Amino acid sequence: MGEFLGVLFSAAFLASVVRVVTPVLFAATGGLLSEVAGVPNIVLEGAMLAGACAGGLVAGYTGNTGLGLLAAIAAGTLVGLALGVMHLDLGADAIISGIGINLLVTGATVFAVFSLVGEKSGTSTLGSHSLPVIDIPLIESIPVVGRVVSGQSILTYAAFAVWFAVTVMLRRTRFGTHLLACGEAPEAARSVGLDVRRLRYSAVAISGALSGCGGAFLSMGYVSYFVRDMTAGRGFIAVAAIFLGAKKPVGTLLACLLFAATEALAIRLGNFDVPSQLVSAIPYATTFVALGFFAWNGSRNRTSTFAEPTPEADVSLSAETPG
Amino acid sequence: MSETMTVEPSTPDRTAARNELRRTRRRELVWDIGATVLTILMALAVGFVATLAVGKDPIEAFSAMLTGPFSRSIRIGRWLEDATTITLLGLSVAIPFRAGQVSLGAEGQIFIGALVAGTLSIHLAMPGLAGLLIPAAAAMLAGYVLGLLPGAMKAYWGANEIVSTLMLNAVMVRVYAWLLTSYLMADGATIVASEYLPSSSRFNPLSDLFGTDLGRANVLLFAVPVIACGVWLLLMRTPFGYEMRMVGANARFATYGGVGSRRVIAMSYAVGGAIAGLAGAHLVQGTNGRMILGISAGLGFEGIVVALLARNNPLVIPLAGLGYSYLRVGGDVMEQDASVGNEIVYIIQATVILLVTAQAAHALLRRRRHRGKADVGGVAPPTEASTAGVG
Repeated sequence: MGEFLGVLFSAAFLASVVRVVTPVLFAATGGLLSEVAGVPNIVLEGAMLAGACAGGLVAGYTGNTGLGLLAAIAAGTLVGLALGVMHLDLGADAIISGIGINLLVTGATVFAVFSLVGEKSGTSTLGSHSLPVIDIPLIESIPVVGRVVSGQSILTYAAFAVWFAVTVMLRRTRFGTHLLACGEAPEAARSVGLDVRRLRYSAVAISGALSGCGGAFLSMGYVSYFVRDMTAGRGFIAVAAIFLGAKKPVGTLLACLLFAATEALAIRLGNFDVPSQLVSAIPYATTFVALGFFAWNGSRNRTSTFAEPTPEADVSLSAETPG
Repeated sequence: MSETMTVEPSTPDRTAARNELRRTRRRELVWDIGATVLTILMALAVGFVATLAVGKDPIEAFSAMLTGPFSRSIRIGRWLEDATTITLLGLSVAIPFRAGQVSLGAEGQIFIGALVAGTLSIHLAMPGLAGLLIPAAAAMLAGYVLGLLPGAMKAYWGANEIVSTLMLNAVMVRVYAWLLTSYLMADGATIVASEYLPSSSRFNPLSDLFGTDLGRANVLLFAVPVIACGVWLLLMRTPFGYEMRMVGANARFATYGGVGSRRVIAMSYAVGGAIAGLAGAHLVQGTNGRMILGISAGLGFEGIVVALLARNNPLVIPLAGLGYSYLRVGGDVMEQDASVGNEIVYIIQATVILLVTAQAAHALLRRRRHRGKADVGGVAPPTEASTAGVG
């Protein structure tokens, strides 16, 4: 047990938590904007994958990771906008069409890598390209904190900065409150002259761009090349984190950290005599239980105020899917 | 509404109304099938253009894909066996769809179904029909429970069903892998797999019946149309099905009309889960004959494609399943014969989803179709007729 706690509080463990949380935090921060604006967004996964692929390819061919990052952001934005077109303009269910877009990205990335590089597995033959790692002068010499806070990828710092910016933006800026209004009461927002469609478009575009950054971290930070399906469900974890965090910035950050901690723990526990499959199930099981608990807790409080809150059925699906 | 009609005596007026309703239903069925075919054709065209765009020979690739499944009898078997699983999954997804619910939990339900059916078959060797049916029924029960869990959480507590089902899937995949590698692996197996099921627990292969090598296709294929009709009856001819469709059309109104919407929503997930559990049992008792690692790689999502293709009509789902798994097997053949990867199948699959869900396009088509009918004078309120068309 002592050995176990030793792992939990080691600098290496905390540093890996910060590393693991980066892509998820990017996607969750972006997805949060989309969720609060009233667009359920599961293309975070696809946008992240597209970003990872575009970043890996461009950095691989040009050798310039900055260009790779730009390409990743562009690809992610494009995927976010695709959801916008489907959901906001063509009236498609956001979840179902989101699944479609994710599949399209999965196919398109392998297809693109195969036809350009001639290999299906990824871009590893194009060499390794990583975005710079930043050492912070004074802090890096502090014992434990130094290893955690300093020496991370530039995108890791960016992820936390972006999260902070979004937190402030949602509370303090006009754009932020407009987004909240779109999600809270679209009709009311419309009635006071807000362009709900445009605001939601910007929300999905930004969420795509940020997920693209998360993808760029995967292919140019976590690893230094693109591997097919390398997001491995991180976009869905980001969606889970948003709901776990009750669609609030602070809650979302905590949920992301919780997930990253369990994943980092799962990696560390590999050294102990614990079945690896069970350990890797921990983050998902935790999320499931926590989701149930918070929902139960929330519904208990709700029923005391409202008589009979009807579960919101997704009307659009069954009523309008007929051909 | 059909319930009230049968209770009251048939006046000429009512008979006429009922005939009109029947005609509408037939038209909707033809329309559903036609739209399914059209969607597949359009998706194929997109795949064709994509192949062209990357400079491969699309004609060669596509002829490999479109004729591939018929090139060898074993590939026909692969097609039929895949269609069995895929159709079951389509039916499983269509049930919650009709109640207005999106369940992504089929993947986890496949794994638990496979686990339960496989373990029971191996460790409780039962003779005769019991050996076949009890594991399959237990798998359905397991799928039912795994569907009820997120369903009830959604209906009673408002927990997001997308997140909960995805998390359950991830957990189930890992629990399955853990149990298989730690406890159920056969001695001396070269891959991570359990021992083969006793033959009394296996669905008879079609090869024995027809005398040609049809690979792993098995008799469960013949049960699929029956199950599809059962789902249709459940949705269209039972009070529960009526309640589900009502909740799907408008949950608030259903509650107002005295339907226990929460119970209906929870149950729709559970019933769908049971069918996905059966699909899991099919993978073990039919397709593979044993439990293998990674028994389903994203099959749960394929069910969504099939349900969408068939526009949630249980009677069309077997056809959509056959058509769709033809493409899947064709994609594998294309991968082997031509150098184009079967990623093109992903693209076709995605196109199908996007085409079907883009409702603005449908509204346009519908308007065209209904134009000219407006002045016939028949007041056709878009109530039962149009909801009936959904399935």
